[in-house]
Amino acid sequence: MTPDIVVTEGLTKRYGDFTALSDCSMSVVRGEVFGLLGPNGAGKTTLIRLLLGHLQPTSGQLSIDGIDPRVDGVELRKRVAYLPGDARLPRHMKGGAVLRFFADMHPSGNLDRSLEVAEILELNTRTRVAFMSTGMRQKLALAVVFGVDTPLLILDEPTANLDPTVRGNVLNLVMDAKRVGRTVMFSSHVLSEIEDTCDRVAFLRKGKLAHRLAMKDLYQRHRITALVDQAHANMEAPETIASRIHTTIDGQSVAIVTDGDLAPMLSWVDSLALSQVRIEPLGLRAVYDAVHTGQAVAL
Amino acid sequence: MISGTLIDRVLIRKYIGQSSLLFLSCGAAMFAFAWVRVWVVSLLDMGQFQTILEQFRDFEKFAPISFDALFTYVGRVGMTYDEPIVILCTVIWCVARGSDVVSGELGRGTLEMILSQPITRKTLLLSHATVSVVGLALLCLCVWAGIGAGVYATTLEESIEQPSFRIPIINIDVPLTTDSPETQTIRLRDRVEVETYASSTFHLFAFGFFLLGLATLLSSMDRYRWRTVGTVVAIYVAQLVMFGLGKAAPTLEWLLSMSFFSCYKPQKMTSMVVSDGLAAPWSVTSIPPDCALPALFYPMILIGLGLSFYIAATIIFTRRDLPAPL
Repeated sequence: MTPDIVVTEGLTKRYGDFTALSDCSMSVVRGEVFGLLGPNGAGKTTLIRLLLGHLQPTSGQLSIDGIDPRVDGVELRKRVAYLPGDARLPRHMKGGAVLRFFADMHPSGNLDRSLEVAEILELNTRTRVAFMSTGMRQKLALAVVFGVDTPLLILDEPTANLDPTVRGNVLNLVMDAKRVGRTVMFSSHVLSEIEDTCDRVAFLRKGKLAHRLAMKDLYQRHRITALVDQAHANMEAPETIASRIHTTIDGQSVAIVTDGDLAPMLSWVDSLALSQVRIEPLGLRAVYDAVHTGQAVAL
Repeated sequence: MISGTLIDRVLIRKYIGQSSLLFLSCGAAMFAFAWVRVWVVSLLDMGQFQTILEQFRDFEKFAPISFDALFTYVGRVGMTYDEPIVILCTVIWCVARGSDVVSGELGRGTLEMILSQPITRKTLLLSHATVSVVGLALLCLCVWAGIGAGVYATTLEESIEQPSFRIPIINIDVPLTTDSPETQTIRLRDRVEVETYASSTFHLFAFGFFLLGLATLLSSMDRYRWRTVGTVVAIYVAQLVMFGLGKAAPTLEWLLSMSFFSCYKPQKMTSMVVSDGLAAPWSVTSIPPDCALPALFYPMILIGLGLSFYIAATIIFTRRDLPAPL
């Protein structure tokens, strides 16, 4: 068994002149929660739908658990539970019947587990789908997906249309899945959710894989903002930490971005005679903004 | 090795649930109509209309059956298969079910979740086809059963022919009595055998199967159900117009060979059974009068075309990109 459950190499999808995904090479390690980030139209859903065999790639290679969807889509989908971004379910069925239908369809389906998840999400399964609100339908789709015991879970914006309490429950379900060794691929626009759950993140921009990031590296990044008392103060850092420091001065304002353990840098910061000092974790937002605007990302 | 089964019982259960209301409505309408239609046959004494119909002999070519057959109970009951209600219900079932399979599910956005399960697209298509084709067969049997119920439940009042004397040379029949004609009550089943309509029922099935295949093919390449339905209906109307024009104008007779309606001959089958026996419509060798091919070839052409449409639909659907839900 290879350590990577999802592998793509040079994966490209074109619709005529429009390139939805270009030369995407990435991998997802077994047992991790992997985040997909990017603005609308960046290619996240295209990547997911290519993996499931819903779209035919223009070029490149892809596999889940060593299986190419073009060769054996059935075996591949036995290993995946997928929640689409806009999950729609048969409107003529009641919630319970939908759960039963999907539990029967999938060899790893479990109706009891689906009902359990529905209860966690506070969903009334006696209502017909046609009469459910958007949030209720999303909960039902989540109950379908979390009820299936597959090695890989692919969730496309799983918390869309949900209230904050249920969002928290969904993130707990994701972490539960990780705890039992399942792999989760997770696309979301809510950066805090990605920060809270993911081990690694891939940023897509205009159909291209723009950046990859391990969250443990991000947690070691800090931004120090302050005012410099004297103009043209010497901001040069000692050699031992210089490579891990990036300083920007704008008038009296100074912004120092640090990479790695903060402790050895604090004595140098203290020597700078700064005032109104503020230290904050760099956060995913800064990386996202940099990727989104096409700037170089230090990490 | 590529895994997967040809049909999926869970999907079949879903499709049965989805189509049951339409099936029950069409089935009840077809059964009841066929029964009532047979009963109405018993109410009309077509002999009274014989003189009138003779005036329209020039238009006999537009009728699906010879006028002479209209004066027999067997022929008149057989006309049920050309009644607009029977055709309409068959067309509704076939277009509704055929158009639903891909473009219908795509339009509702439900295909994404279903195809994310471990099934092949072929399995989905064949499971849908199983329910649709079995439903079609049952609807055709509903018509036949309705005719059977009508034939077994209906009695007729028939005049007993009066004794008469024919005057030689001028050949005029003169009744020997002036009493009002005597009537007798007979059972319709003594005049009409229900088995006569087996081949007509098969023709109705073949007609529906062709439409079902056509609707499925168009659905497999589309993403909007309304467009699929519109295209099927447009093709149906165009074929009907071609059939009518081919019948009307000798110069346009070539259009008949391009219309699938030319293969739908339920009443011709009825008259063949009357003249040549129950096995005649199933012959693959003897060519009936006014026909270019043996009788069984006509429904088989429709079934063959329907099968070709299904095969093309499977190939197209398995190769196409699945558009994201709208």
